[in-house]
Amino acid sequence: MGYAFTEEQEIIQQTAREFTQECIEPMAAEIDRTALHPEEIIQSSAGQGFMGVFLPEEFDGVEAGFLCYALIIEEISKSSGAVASILNHHAAMAAYSINAWGSKEQKEQYLPAMCAGEVLGAFALSEPDAAPGVGEHKVVAAKDGDSYILNGRKCYVANGGVAGIYVVFALTDPDAGLKGMSAFLVDGDAPGLSVARTIKKMGLRGCQSAEIIFDNVKIPANNLLGAEGDGLAIVAKAQAVAGVAEGAMVVGIAQAAMDDAVKYGMQRIQFKQPIARFPAIQTMLAEMATNIHMLRLAVYHAAGLIDNDEPFAAEAAMIKLFAARIGQSALIDVVQIEGGYGYSEDMVVSRFFRDIKGVVIKNCSIDFPEIVIAKSLLD
Amino acid sequence: MQDLTITPEQQKIQQKAREFTAKNIIPVDREWDERGEFHEFILAKNKEVGLNCMAVPVEYGGPGYDSVTQSLVAEEWGYGCVAFATTLCGNGLSSYPLAIAGTDDQKRLYYGRLVNGGMGGFALTEPGAGSDAGSCTTVAKLEGDEWVINGTKCFATTCGYSSIMVVFASTDPDKGVKGLSAFIVEKERDGVVVGAEEHKMGIRSSNTVELRLKNVRVPRTHLLGKEGDGMKIAMKTLDMARPIVASMSVGLARRALDEAIQFAKTYLDVNGKPIGRHQAVAFKLADMATQVEAARQLVRNALRLKDVGMPYTKEAAMAKTFCTDTAMRVTSEAVELMGQYGYSKDSIVEKLMRDAKVTQIYEGTNQVQRIVISGLLLNS
Repeated sequence: MGYAFTEEQEIIQQTAREFTQECIEPMAAEIDRTALHPEEIIQSSAGQGFMGVFLPEEFDGVEAGFLCYALIIEEISKSSGAVASILNHHAAMAAYSINAWGSKEQKEQYLPAMCAGEVLGAFALSEPDAAPGVGEHKVVAAKDGDSYILNGRKCYVANGGVAGIYVVFALTDPDAGLKGMSAFLVDGDAPGLSVARTIKKMGLRGCQSAEIIFDNVKIPANNLLGAEGDGLAIVAKAQAVAGVAEGAMVVGIAQAAMDDAVKYGMQRIQFKQPIARFPAIQTMLAEMATNIHMLRLAVYHAAGLIDNDEPFAAEAAMIKLFAARIGQSALIDVVQIEGGYGYSEDMVVSRFFRDIKGVVIKNCSIDFPEIVIAKSLLD
Repeated sequence: MQDLTITPEQQKIQQKAREFTAKNIIPVDREWDERGEFHEFILAKNKEVGLNCMAVPVEYGGPGYDSVTQSLVAEEWGYGCVAFATTLCGNGLSSYPLAIAGTDDQKRLYYGRLVNGGMGGFALTEPGAGSDAGSCTTVAKLEGDEWVINGTKCFATTCGYSSIMVVFASTDPDKGVKGLSAFIVEKERDGVVVGAEEHKMGIRSSNTVELRLKNVRVPRTHLLGKEGDGMKIAMKTLDMARPIVASMSVGLARRALDEAIQFAKTYLDVNGKPIGRHQAVAFKLADMATQVEAARQLVRNALRLKDVGMPYTKEAAMAKTFCTDTAMRVTSEAVELMGQYGYSKDSIVEKLMRDAKVTQIYEGTNQVQRIVISGLLLNS
């Protein structure tokens, strides 16, 4: 494809492609229908090293870099946005944060188990009805000797209920607002942590979304991730990294949807010819092909920045903005091309239509991508 | 808000539809969507308030609402649930061929069923004939005093529940579009078989089925207009129906806008201020509202032309395209703006977005509308 990949990257891409076809594709519709966490697939993914692709070998990761991770996410997304989403919250948000901010002890304690697929990661940030640390149910961590006591409620926690480790954001200094937010590593079986409910979603079904209650959850002080007050910086970094991976998800889903539309368009005969021969259809396909290509390049570029330890926050925000714009419009057009058939629940594109929206919804809770980009221009 | 550009009588009916929607549709829209079940009971309630069979003229026992009034009601229903609006407006659509080409006897038969609470159906699309209606393979042959109809229709709206239908069949397959004819078919005729129901991504409680016709015999007098008039009747029917679909979509978009406004007022940002105070959000709402308003006016204009007897095909197609594209855009933006909440089934906007997609597809895809519009631009 002319992306100048290394041999390792090409091999990993090929492996991911085959793995997706063999292990995920046959299950993808079922995962969507039942909305159950696909533990078996997660275990097989771990067997391939996918749970810790960019994590250091020292902690049992593959240390293959973030670009390789993006390639894997792109391939998996071609079959199941839900599986890609599970992986993304585990690796790009939870594991990434632990690796970037954790002490050696924390990394040793959690990362090998996360790479092995024994412990799934989650990132507990959003709170009901408001941005974190703002509303009525704000999560607060009170210092109590050598421990913190955590109280409050988190909402829309991806992998919530099935995760073994939660990166939980809580106010250690409520008066300081978000500047007083800190991150904690909380075990899934910690006493006082409970799942209030699982939230039903439009798509990405199978990637659990849960409301989690923290009721006097006692956390050892050495489970503080980074320092007190680092919360916001940890969130910003994790959301940027995850934003690049979400770009890869949009590329994968949109590519698979477009491929399906091309196939349909060549088979569907109206007015005595395949509808793909009509310029109106070709225009839609050309538009989405161009957009997907541009987004893919932007994702590979930003992944390269991450791998080279260069600043990438603005690029990640651009990816978010662009992916939101082109991802949904591609799927709106794909379903349009497939018409009444594409609108059917039995067709894969209607699932892609629902899934892609879940990837591109903005995360208003911290910062709008537009603001992040503008900041990079103005500062 | 009261729209003073419409007559007091129209305002009254609009208000009635709004109350009906608030009372009977909005409380159950989520449940209907989840279960994907057709809701016959609500049809009876709708009949009680006199909003069924709006299009049936007074002399045949209906209320005989003008087009603008029908569109006002359609917008309110669309605000509540597009699946419900599709069912009810489809009922009206199915009767348009009668208004276009029906004889007095035919109207008595067809309207009579609708006035009594029966549902109408409109069966045009086939597996191989979607946008290309001329590729119809359902055929009707005259045998003595009866037409014998054979074929299979698909994506037939409400036909699982309708008591009477307009079915399109070719009376002269060699002539393609020009051989297409329209027939009245009662559901109880031998050989009318309702096939599998579609499981759709949206408008899930609207009934969409396959309709099989096996040696279905109807009297010779069930032919609408003349042999070969089918395409003309279908096109005129769709001219009449498009502004109604457009209105449903305006209602759908208006609902999404209202939900987004409510969210923007109550959801707090990191500084504890409602996110609506952010220009990025506020301007988005302004754009959404502007589009909804423009969409509504486009429908209004098309229907005013129609009600005074002027050509309105182009304007109807424009309204259908713009309003349904607006519904898609505005619902999608509402979900995006409302983030995880909007994407979850705790909110209604994810349903609105799934529902919106079909409006760009049915009643003539928006590509077909563009063929109609550009044809009129280039050939006049």
